[in-house]
Amino acid sequence: MDMNEIKEIFFQECEEQLAELESGLLRLNDGDRDPETVNAVFRAVHSIKGGAGAFGLDDLVSFAHVFETTLDCVRSNKLEPNQEVLKVMLKSADVLADLTNVARDGGSVDQARSKQLIRELEALANGTPLPTASAAPAPAVAPKAKPAAPAPVAEAAAPAANDQGFTPVAFSFDDFGGDEPEVSELPAYDIIFKPKSDLYTKGNEATLLLRDLSRLGEMSIHCDMSDLPSLDQLDPEAAYFWWKISLKTDKGEDAIRSVFEFAEWDCDLEVSKVGGEGVVAESDLPMQPVPFDLSALDAESDAPLGVTEEEENLVAQRDEAIAAAETANNVVQMAGNAARAAASDKGAAAAAAQNNAQQASSAAAPTIRVDLDRVDRLINLVGELVINQAMLSQSVIENDANGTSSINMGLEELQQLTREIQDSVMAIRAQPVKPVFQRMARTVREIADITGKSVRLVTEGENTEVDKTVIDKLAEPLTHMIRNAVDHGLETPEKRLAAGKSAEGTVKLTAKHRSGRIVIELSDDGAGINREKVRQKAIDNDLITADANLSDEEIDNLIFHAGFSTADKVSDLSGRGVGMDVVKRSIQALGGRINISSKPGHGSTFTMSLPLTLAVLDGMVVTVAGQTLVVPLTAIVETLQPEAAAIHSFGATQRLISIRNSFCPLVDVGRILNFRSTQANPVEGVALLVESEGGGQRALMVDAIQGQRQVVIKSLEANYTHVPGIAAATILGDGRVALILDVDSVVSASRGQSLQLEASLAAAG
Amino acid sequence: MATKKAAQKSLSLAPVLDLNEASSLRGKLTALRGNNLVVDASAVERVGALCLQVLLAGAKTWEEDKQSFTFAKVSDAFTKTTQLIGINIDHLMAKEI
Repeated sequence: MDMNEIKEIFFQECEEQLAELESGLLRLNDGDRDPETVNAVFRAVHSIKGGAGAFGLDDLVSFAHVFETTLDCVRSNKLEPNQEVLKVMLKSADVLADLTNVARDGGSVDQARSKQLIRELEALANGTPLPTASAAPAPAVAPKAKPAAPAPVAEAAAPAANDQGFTPVAFSFDDFGGDEPEVSELPAYDIIFKPKSDLYTKGNEATLLLRDLSRLGEMSIHCDMSDLPSLDQLDPEAAYFWWKISLKTDKGEDAIRSVFEFAEWDCDLEVSKVGGEGVVAESDLPMQPVPFDLSALDAESDAPLGVTEEEENLVAQRDEAIAAAETANNVVQMAGNAARAAASDKGAAAAAAQNNAQQASSAAAPTIRVDLDRVDRLINLVGELVINQAMLSQSVIENDANGTSSINMGLEELQQLTREIQDSVMAIRAQPVKPVFQRMARTVREIADITGKSVRLVTEGENTEVDKTVIDKLAEPLTHMIRNAVDHGLETPEKRLAAGKSAEGTVKLTAKHRSGRIVIELSDDGAGINREKVRQKAIDNDLITADANLSDEEIDNLIFHAGFSTADKVSDLSGRGVGMDVVKRSIQALGGRINISSKPGHGSTFTMSLPLTLAVLDGMVVTVAGQTLVVPLTAIVETLQPEAAAIHSFGATQRLISIRNSFCPLVDVGRILNFRSTQANPVEGVALLVESEGGGQRALMVDAIQGQRQVVIKSLEANYTHVPGIAAATILGDGRVALILDVDSVVSASRGQSLQLEASLAAAG
Repeated sequence: MATKKAAQKSLSLAPVLDLNEASSLRGKLTALRGNNLVVDASAVERVGALCLQVLLAGAKTWEEDKQSFTFAKVSDAFTKTTQLIGINIDHLMAKEI
């Protein structure tokens, strides 16, 4: 396994940890005070820090460290996780995510923002009031030191300049907390650390562990060499040394154990608290005090003070390489950590509460990581299998009109099996929408901050599953919409209070499954769409004529037009007028529909309905002018055989069909798609009543219905080019290509000359 | 300093003494057995516990052989690491200067 792969695994785990972190913080925000939630949050940050340290990602490590310290205060009940604290923490989680992304993809982060947050986190940890953005920097911020090991921040109790002029920056919050305890009053621990040979062969290094340990406080050490054989009997890769350590620290036993976190299965570790004063007591062994200044062991100490950023980067890169090489196995272990934790009885008995919790969570859902490409290949193959199975059935039927029942039964079973295989394979790709929803939480926070509005995001149905491709493409339009909802939808706190609402606006994001599709709803409790303003704007922009008679729904839908924006001022957030039409196009590109409903004074609701998968589709196979087309079943409300009496002419070319006392425009699909030049006789065909976006119903007229089946979607864009009115293609059982109808664009096109613009817009999308 | 000048050999240690270096260090030391040895650790930037084990096993073996085993020059990193992990090498330091 090469280094990049290991790093990639680390980043994947980071993503999971960040999600865990955010959901934990949100739970805390909702008043959850379960210590396990706090632990989960702490663990997430801690794991990121540990992994980042192994790769020498120092920015990430130093930020995570400060974050972790503050979380530790919450964990030890020194800090009450109130709204103010959680606000800082949620922002810190965002910065941590940014830093992770930068570490993976390059780029830069907002330094000022992360520095400010570091100050705020420190203030929280110290119990001092939150500094404002303009406040002078706190005396000690994260040091520029770039050690290659998991605990880079020198925790020396007293800073001392070494002979290279490198001054380690003390990073104990006690320094500016005011009440720094006397060193001699610190609790003392006796630690026995006996590495096993595996510790070394797995790339761990006892010296590094001891160095990290020494940073926790004042340490004395005795190295037991009694096991050391003479040179000829020595196995150079076996462990002979073991250590008895006395450590005085206020960081607690957990901090000590966490130093050995990634090595604990490869060593015997005993940590015991010594009662009474922290003197190196009752030890008859010659203990050697460990000097505080261990900077010579850190690679960066070679670099003189005042190095340029470039040099620093070089050093950082080198550190990274060294650290990476050193701890390659370490990280592999990390990946397997959870599994091992569950397996190890010893671990269960000895590990700290932290590790126990890790076991619990790992036992819950055993998973494997699979390359998405592999899944896609499988899905594609299963698609071919379905087509092949259909072809086989068809040729059996054609060649053997009175086919024996055993063949038919076998074929039916095969059909069921393929269907089941297909469903199972699709389920592999299905993922909960939770990660996308969580990203929206961040968007809401940021926009709320910028606009000065107070917003609460409520999410529901986060575990609703949908195809990964859909999820990936959902984030962008959702972000747009959330921005719009907060920026345009919600009023300012003053206006809200004046309108008799609470100052805090609510944006609700829900997901649910409904008849084979996923429906995502985004609603706000703001002012609703200002129809007068929208209408006026549309008139100003020549989208409608001044005397156009539009229903409320039609006015609402105007905001989906390109170049439409009602914001008085163009802001950074939204209001560039490229928002909602882009959203609509993205949703349509996913085979989805978007609807809007708005109540003045009560807010707006956007409803998106999306297919669960982009790979298969249940369709009705129909014939139009000698061509075979597939109409997505989800669009069809009902099918009917028109009677001559029900058909009414309307204007020069339009026809209506009366269905149960209401009229519905009749659309000749063959005519719209230019399959034929003259209108077909409706009585000879079949009408499919479809519901298009915007709720309007149309009767699509086709010549005949062949049947209903699941088809595998083959992209037309990827293989040919976009065709207006056609969404995609498929291969039928007889091997012929059939086109899948884009119902919405056909309906749009049918609205006639006056809305030709919309037809071309839809086609462009 | 060493007693028998005639049979004195020296060994310069590599800058990085990690897991990969432990076997070869043992090999080098074994090859030098029977001689008084001066180890030059001035170039060492990083030394792990395994190599320190090898070096200390060497010192022990040399002592059994009644030969001298001394560190001539040591780098800061080397000294600090030995201090960190609680190994006293004062008695192995060359006594001149």
